Formats: sequence, C-alpha cells, structure tokens
Amino acid sequence: MKKSRIFSIALAGAMLLPSLGMLTGCGGEDVITLRVYNWEEYIDEGGKGTFIFDELHELDENGDPVRDEHGNHIHIESDIVDDDYKAWYEETMGHALSEEGPRVLDDFCEWYERTHGQKIRVEYSTFGTNEDMYNEILLGNEYDLLCPSDYMIMKLAAEGRLQKYDESFFDETNPENYYVRNVSPFIAEKFATNAGLNIRKDPDGEDIYWKDYAAGYMWGTTGFVYNPAALEAAGIAEEELQTYGWDVFTDTRFKGKITAKDNVRDTYFVALGVTYQDELMELDRTANDYIPRLTAIFNATDEETIGTVEPTLMDIKNNIYSFETDTGKSDMVNGKIWLNYAWSGDAVYAIDLAESGKSEDGEDEAKAYLNYFVPEAGSNLFFDGWVMPKGANREAAQAFVNFMSMPQNAMRNSYYIGYTSVIAGEEFEMLDYADYLYGYYPEDEFEEGEEYDEPVDYDLSYFFYGEKHGSDEYAGIPAEPEQAEKRQLFAQFPTPEVIARSAVMDYYDEEASVRINELWSRVKAESLEPWTIVVIVVAVVAIVGGVLLLKFGDKIDFFRLGPKKGYKKVKEERA
Amino acid sequence: MKLPRFSRKTLCIPYAVFLVFFVIIPMCVILFYAFTDRDMHFSFSNFLQFFSDPTKLSTIVYSIVISLITTVICLVIAYPVALILARSKLKKKFVILMLFVLPMWINFVLRVNALRELFNLLSQADALAWLENANIFKTIVGMVYDFLPFMILPLYTTMLKIDDSLYEASADLGGNAFTTFFRITLPLSMPGIMSGVTMVFLPSMTNYVVSDMLGNAKVTIIGKFISDYFGNDWHMGSMIALVLLIIVFASTLLSGGLKSDENVRGTNL
Repeated sequence: MKKSRIFSIALAGAMLLPSLGMLTGCGGEDVITLRVYNWEEYIDEGGKGTFIFDELHELDENGDPVRDEHGNHIHIESDIVDDDYKAWYEETMGHALSEEGPRVLDDFCEWYERTHGQKIRVEYSTFGTNEDMYNEILLGNEYDLLCPSDYMIMKLAAEGRLQKYDESFFDETNPENYYVRNVSPFIAEKFATNAGLNIRKDPDGEDIYWKDYAAGYMWGTTGFVYNPAALEAAGIAEEELQTYGWDVFTDTRFKGKITAKDNVRDTYFVALGVTYQDELMELDRTANDYIPRLTAIFNATDEETIGTVEPTLMDIKNNIYSFETDTGKSDMVNGKIWLNYAWSGDAVYAIDLAESGKSEDGEDEAKAYLNYFVPEAGSNLFFDGWVMPKGANREAAQAFVNFMSMPQNAMRNSYYIGYTSVIAGEEFEMLDYADYLYGYYPEDEFEEGEEYDEPVDYDLSYFFYGEKHGSDEYAGIPAEPEQAEKRQLFAQFPTPEVIARSAVMDYYDEEASVRINELWSRVKAESLEPWTIVVIVVAVVAIVGGVLLLKFGDKIDFFRLGPKKGYKKVKEERA
Repeated sequence: MKLPRFSRKTLCIPYAVFLVFFVIIPMCVILFYAFTDRDMHFSFSNFLQFFSDPTKLSTIVYSIVISLITTVICLVIAYPVALILARSKLKKKFVILMLFVLPMWINFVLRVNALRELFNLLSQADALAWLENANIFKTIVGMVYDFLPFMILPLYTTMLKIDDSLYEASADLGGNAFTTFFRITLPLSMPGIMSGVTMVFLPSMTNYVVSDMLGNAKVTIIGKFISDYFGNDWHMGSMIALVLLIIVFASTLLSGGLKSDENVRGTNL
C-alpha cells in the first residue's frame, strides 16, 4: 500500500516536472522576460562568421580563421571595427569588445540591465513564413515582439492584434531613441505613407499607418539572379533581360531553366507582373499617382484579375524548372538553372556563394559569376519590421528595437543575414558600412600602368536624405561599374530607379484569400480530364474487387478454385 | 479514503496519457475544424466544397495513382528478393538483408537529398538529359527507393515461416516449380503481401517531401495539398485530412490490416 502511494506520487511528480521547469526557467522574480519571435537566421548569432569575429581575425579563402603555429587565431586590425567602434562598444556595454564576437542578444541583456537597472532574459524563437507566425498568434501564443513583413503588419494591425509604439519612442530629441534618430528618412517616409497602399482602418476605425505600429528592421527588393555565361551560351543577350522583365517566366527559351517560389504570395505577384507587363510599362512614371497605380496593379485580387492570371500561372508552371523554397540558390550556383526569382538578400548570398567557388555544402565547384536584375516593368519592395502584439511589454520591446537600431548593431545583423538594414545612422555610419563592403578605390588596389575600370559614383542619397532631398546633398560611394549595374551592391542597396518602380504588397482580405488559395491549388494540382478520372476509378474498383475476390472468393461457389472434377464425383457417389 | 490499488493496469497510464494527448485530442480538433467555417460555426460547407471541386478530387485520384504505381513496382522488386532471401541456402543471407534494411537507418531527408543530387549528376549526361524535367518519374523512383524495405521485410518474415515440409510434399507429389509457387508460396505469403502493400501504399500518398524534392514541387500529392491548406485555411485542410483518413481506414480494412491474428508486420529487426 505504502509502496504504491510512493509510486503514484513519484509518477505524478515526474509528470509535473516539465511544467515546473517552464515556470522556474525564467530565473528569479527580478528578471523580466522579453519574448521575441523572429525569422530564422535573422539576427547576429555571435562567434565565427559574424561581423566582429570576421573583422578581427585573419581569415583564409574559405572564410575560416587562420591559426598560427601554436594553434591560436591571428588577430588583425580592421577598418570598420576600428578604435571608434571599440570605444562605442566599451561605452555602451561597460566592458571591452571581445574579439570572439559576442551574441547581439547577450549584449542586449547586458545593456538593458546596465541602462534600465532591470535584469532581462530574451526568450527567442523563430518562424519560417509570415503565415506560420500568424497561425501561432492565432493559436494564442504570446510574444512581446514580432518581425513580420509589410503585408502581415497591415493584417495584424487591421485585426486589432497590435499595440502602437509609445509617442515617446518617436521623440528625436531623446538621445536614447536610437531608432528614430538612426532610421533612414527614406524608410521613415515609406512607413509614414504606407508606400502607396490604400489606407486601411483598424477595428477602432482609425487609419493604419506602418509608422504607428512598426519599427523597420530589414528591407529589400525582389528580382532575378541570373547566370550571364549560361545565357550567352544559349545565345541570349544579357541586355535583353532588361527589356524583357517579367516574361522570362513564360519565354520558352528559358524552359526548365528558371525557378519560381513555392508559395502563393510571391508567385501570384510574379504572375501579375507577367500578365500586366505591358500595362505596367505604359504607366506614366512621372505622374504623381504612378506608385499608387503600380501598387494597385500588383495587388489586384478581384475575380476578373484572377481569371486573367490563371492561364499565365499555368504557363509559368509549365515553363519553370521548379517551385522552390530554398533549393534555388544551390541550383543557381551549380549551373542547373539560369534564372532564379529571389529576394535581394538571398540574391547577394547566391552571388557571393557562386563567386567563392563553394557550393552550399562546402565542396569545391567551378566558380560562377552571377548577376541580378530587377524587371523594368516594376517589382516588389518589402520591409520586415518589429511590431508589438497587444499585451506585450512595451518598455522592454522598444528598448530592444532601439538597441538593434544602433548603427553598430545594425551592421552586425546586416552582415550576418545579408539583407539591408533600415538604419542609416545619424552620422551616416551605414554609408561607411556600404563603403567598407563595396567601396572601390582602384588607385589603392592597382599598380601604376595596370588597366582598371574607372569607379562610378553610386548614389544613395535617397536612402540617407529621403526621397525629397535637395540637389546639393549627396551620399554615395565609389563603385566598380559592374557592381553598380548588376551585382551585389546593386542587389543590396537598390538604386533610386529600382525603388521608383517598386510596389509593396498588401494583404488579401478574407474573400480574396479564399479565391487566391483556390487558384493556387488549381495551379499546383494536376488537373485530370474527366475521362481519365473515370478510367482510374474503374481501375481502382477493379483492383479492390480483385483483392476482395482473392480474400473471400473461396466463400462463393462460382469462384472456388475447387478440387479436380474426379474428386468431386467420388464425393458425390459416396454421398 | 482508500487509495487506488497499484496493479499492472497502472502501467498503462503513460500510454493512455499519450493516447489522449497525441491521438484522441488531435483527432477531435481535426473533426472540429473540418466541420466549422471561418467563424467557427458548424457547417457542412467544407464537405460540400470538397466533393464538388474537381481540383481536390483530381488530386486525390492522382495521389492514389502515384501510390499504386509505387506499390506495384515495390512489390515486383521486393517479392523475388524476399523469396531468394527466405528460401535459398545462401550463406550470407543476413548480409544481403542488411543491405536492403540499412538505408532505413539513415535519415530519410538525407537519403532523398542524396537521390536528388544523383539525378542531377545523371541528367548532366546528354543521353539522360530528359531526367531533368521527368518529375513524376523521379518522384516514383524516390518513393520506391524509400519504401522498398517496408515491402521486403513483411514478405521476408512471412516466407520464412512457410513450413519446409510443404515444399517437400509438393515435390513428392510431382509438383513442378510453377505449381509449387502458385499452390504454396503465393497463397501462404499473401498476408505478407497485404501487410507490405499497406505499408507502402498509405505513406506514399502523403509523403510530399519526396515529391517536393525530386518532383521540383511540380508534382502535388494529397499530403502537400493538406500542408498548403494549413497555411491559411485550417478548415479545408482538416476536411482533406479527414477524407484521407477515411481512405486510409477503408484500405486498411480491405487489406485485413485490422485483424489481430496476423502477426506479420515484421519490422522487428
């Protein structure tokens, strides 16, 4: 009796243990928890391969740290993680910068405790798609900070799931408001005007503007990574792509050599581009309403549009090599496809990867030079921003955003994930970063008498001064002509021309969402002719019947694989 | 108050808890979602929509066809192998069996990825360039590769159990190889065939990792369909899952998989 009691208590204890762990995992009472829900691989993780480590160590051609004869890493001086940077770090964090590359999340906790006098712990989790994140929210999971994309921010705000940033967050006179002080005026303008989208209302009937609900994190465009050598071999001039734009998706010369994304959002967007390419080209780009009209075309979800787009989507499906989620980059690097529809950050990654002569799994491969272009007819401009769901710890969440918005931290995150930060920097620190990545100073690199391309001015004034900047203000870097025209620099820091023809995505309202999902399933599924279905159903019934016959046939006289006739006779006679 | 007595039945508690949390509750949730609309009101609309939508029916039929082809190919390959392994006097039988079973112990996604790379390599040869866009072919090869051990094992274990004296009797009575096969081996290995067919046919209808990776996501089987719907419409996703469940149940019933006396699910290696 006693024994079983102990046993059952032990059993109950064992079952309770995990839940206890959850409660005590937060540490003592004086520690608050900040629950951050972000994209996978979307923040500096510290250590090897991150900004600080890579800058302060001698690296070999594979990007691995070189070791000296004692097996130690070799530390070097860096132009960007310089004395100023180290001084900033020491001032902010209260201790010297470790060359091993601290995690930005750990730094945040230390910084928060130092500045707010409160211990904090970050509970960090990740998602793969905006929709996954949305489902988690719908299921009632609670977070303090999310990082959805533009359209999802709108959706969450329209459903009344978000809380606004505090007004004090936008007070530029407060030196601790790193976000407003450092964010690019260009991004701030887009966030204040919703970049040409129709203004939606939240459940309280108020107009929704991104700027109230979201602080930017990363941004970029979509376009195509392409393999110029493969195109040349096929007799297609690189310049043609510029005039072609979207219809590469249906051009049979690219059959089986181009990929689309395996999600309804991006591929529907693409199909709109292909279908309405001519209309998009005819729009008057100098007109005031150009961006709203462009945005409207790329966000059309009415039944008529869906009907028009459907055959295009079918053509796309028949022409592409695959619908991909992450295989596009490696297929591009190993030369299997010529064109890959990609987000700019992924494009930079693919171009780097191909150039380094390594495949994704680290094997040596022939080097390939890949380029990037954005369709002339217009493309997608996207943002990911930090938002706070209702019930979030606003003070800690805003502090987190501010910490990530310090230019020095923006560099770390941007370096790690390869996308472009929304941060410009009060002193244009991010221009130094762009310069450090892509600045081109041939006079330092080449000996006298060697031939080299003259650098071109790569104008990024729009990003640092805003779209309506004066003519005497200039912010830019000297760049290699190729970089400025079609390579990593062009992908990571889009030119004003690319920006001027890019539209953001809106969310689909409920009816449109149903229509588009049905469209997507029609496109993805194999549509069988009615007679094929009949034939197959008959075949299946025949097989099922056959199986039944084999199993139960014995019980039916007619089918009995009975004994030989002679035996039967004998049996009958006896009877 | 008397405490409940500890008995052997108490040992069932962990499993019962598991059953409730991971089988019964999820089933109820699926059922709930399948028969509600977006406003969470009870509704048959998903049901009606499913059976009036040619796309969804096509996809189901299409998945069944792909599964059937996979199953037949698996059976054709596995039967002789199992027969040889079980009946021959080979000394290193165990080694051969292990060769077929070993891949099962390697991560499945890794294997499919390896197969993908292999196809890439092959399609670089001019004669095999057609492989590049042969999505259905590649999907079926991938499925067969993946599920072959599940066919071989039950066949092998059933055939091992066939009494040698039956073969001796057949020989005594003048039965040739052909008669022996059709009179003894085939009928007696029927439970193994049934078990193998179930174990290949059902998972290959839903295993969309293979069709995504080898079929370039251009081959859409019912599993992928469900996963796509769960991105934004849980109700329809649940309804499709429910229909699939019924198909699975029906085919299990058909193949006698629910009979308790058949002890042939021989994956006990």
